[in-house]
Amino acid sequence: MSSPGDSRRTTARRRETALFLLAVPALLLLGIIFAWPVLRLLAMSVEDGTLANFEKATLDELYLYVLFDSVKIAAMVMAICLLVAYPVAFWLSRAGRWGVALGMFALLLPFWTSVLVRTYAWLVLLGRNGVVNRWLRDAGLIDAPLPLLHNTSGVLIGMVHVLLPYMVFPIYASLLRIDPDLSRAAEGLGAPAWRSFLRVTFPLSLPGVSAGCALVFVLSLGFFITPALLGGGRVIMVSMLIEQQVREFLDWPFAAALSTVLLVATLAIYALIGRITRGARHA
Amino acid sequence: MPRILGYDRQPGADRTGGSIARRSRRDILLAAAAAGTAALPRFSHAQGGAPPKPDRIVVNASGGSMTSNLRRFYFSEYERQHGIRVVDTSPVDFGKLRAMVASGNPEWTVTEIGGQDAMRAVELNLLEPIDISIVDLSGFPAMARQSHIYVGATSSTALGYRTDAFPDGSHPKGWAEFWDVRRFPGARSLRNHPVDNLEFALLADGVALDKIYPIDMDRAFRKLDEIRPHIAVWWTTGAQPAQMLVDREVVLASGWNGRFFELTRRGAPVNTDFTGGSLKTSAWGIPRGTRNAYWGQQLFRTMTNPRLQAAYATELSYAGLNPQTISFVPEDIRPLLPAAPANLAKQFWMDLAWWTENGARAQERWNRWMLQR
Repeated sequence: MSSPGDSRRTTARRRETALFLLAVPALLLLGIIFAWPVLRLLAMSVEDGTLANFEKATLDELYLYVLFDSVKIAAMVMAICLLVAYPVAFWLSRAGRWGVALGMFALLLPFWTSVLVRTYAWLVLLGRNGVVNRWLRDAGLIDAPLPLLHNTSGVLIGMVHVLLPYMVFPIYASLLRIDPDLSRAAEGLGAPAWRSFLRVTFPLSLPGVSAGCALVFVLSLGFFITPALLGGGRVIMVSMLIEQQVREFLDWPFAAALSTVLLVATLAIYALIGRITRGARHA
Repeated sequence: MPRILGYDRQPGADRTGGSIARRSRRDILLAAAAAGTAALPRFSHAQGGAPPKPDRIVVNASGGSMTSNLRRFYFSEYERQHGIRVVDTSPVDFGKLRAMVASGNPEWTVTEIGGQDAMRAVELNLLEPIDISIVDLSGFPAMARQSHIYVGATSSTALGYRTDAFPDGSHPKGWAEFWDVRRFPGARSLRNHPVDNLEFALLADGVALDKIYPIDMDRAFRKLDEIRPHIAVWWTTGAQPAQMLVDREVVLASGWNGRFFELTRRGAPVNTDFTGGSLKTSAWGIPRGTRNAYWGQQLFRTMTNPRLQAAYATELSYAGLNPQTISFVPEDIRPLLPAAPANLAKQFWMDLAWWTENGARAQERWNRWMLQR
């Protein structure tokens, strides 16, 4: 004998199965174009039956140093993006129709331009005789050109520019989802605007912050062309070493080991970001 | 006006990313001798009359503007002369060449061969020998007279400088003077890569042109330590040194001569000094067993024509090695060509064999050196 509860459970299970079937094509696609190559990559790195490639990738100070440097740069890019993006997202979430249109236009226009073109544009702007240094000199603010290019600051400027939209949009989206009555209630109960922001709005926007940070961080870690062109050779990212191994030395197993180390490091830091923001939300 | 140059690579020598140039002639000949003993004796068509004309031959090259220039200067002349259509394909692909030869019926009549692969193609007996009764190489420099490889255009990594910073020939000549920051002040740029730079460092340290190889890495890196604080930019793409010279980001830079050539011809205050330049060539071959090998040899014959080579070089600076070519080049262009006899004499041929053997080791050391603070 089936009780009404049983049939309800069966319906729920059926619905679940149906939903799962809907996701099957996407999962298959991901499996074929993502999971399978990643597994192949892993297999390739241990092709010779030893862990020698991983030993070299994780114990050799050269590769450790580059990995550490890449993580450092990715973290800096993430931090700067967050500092710049939050106010923009906050303003967008409070702006009128025209403000949003203007803000979106300003954010999306560069977003649709090739990374390469934008990187070359920075070369023109930031050079010793570039537009920025000329302005500063003409304005009498500096005597000698600032070293804005071919060093870490050039790389940071270029990467933040490319990655900023990835931080703005998630934060903007989560700010929009917050019920405006909540901060109104906080203010109605006597909290000054800054306290209502710190205690109500900001914690509620943390999912967006977390998503934005994770996106920017992960994308930064794999960045290639911007650091190669704006770093003047002084900034080496893991992706550059991987490319070298693949293209020049045809040492694909070692490239695979480096990629795997990068992937693991990325996942670890991704998990860490999730944990920190989740912790902050519950606090 | 700053100009935005694209992310691209030097044609010819550097298509594979530039780690490696061509092997020395002796190595190629040694390998060719090994491969040649296995090959059957060849019938020379010059005595037996030409085989029937096909309606087309297939030429595989790197594509893009390189191929369109080849068509403009060589293929069109070949088509006119023989009434055979030249169909071009791309890209240059060693794996495909190997598979085609193994299949016994290569689609390509002629193919360009990238970097160190020329050497391997000869070792693996993938190419027909060059028929010197058709392709007359007498008088060509020794390194162009190879048994199975037709040596095409020459390019060089040389010293570019701004003529307003160093007027009236007061520029540094060669790498010892490039290293001399007191006599020749100003920001400099070198490539972020050990290839060429190790050679330049040795030349700067007083090593003779013919004593560069095998490279003494310790000595080269010690010398590089000296110049390092004065290198404003370590460039990665072929467009960079040219653009940095135009933007006055630097006043001296190593770079691919074709880039500097383009600027000089357009009147930019940039010129090239070839002292101690690193020469490379492009390599071509006829896949073994291809149907119209004879007509492939005829294409090489067209490509050795000094008048055509001169027209090509006048436009692109990448001159072929026919010794008569230079006399058909306008006089003001001659000093800008890496293959001009006066320039050839002060440069060296990059040793592909050394780089094939030691490239990975040199690169790893280079990365380490780069990361030292």
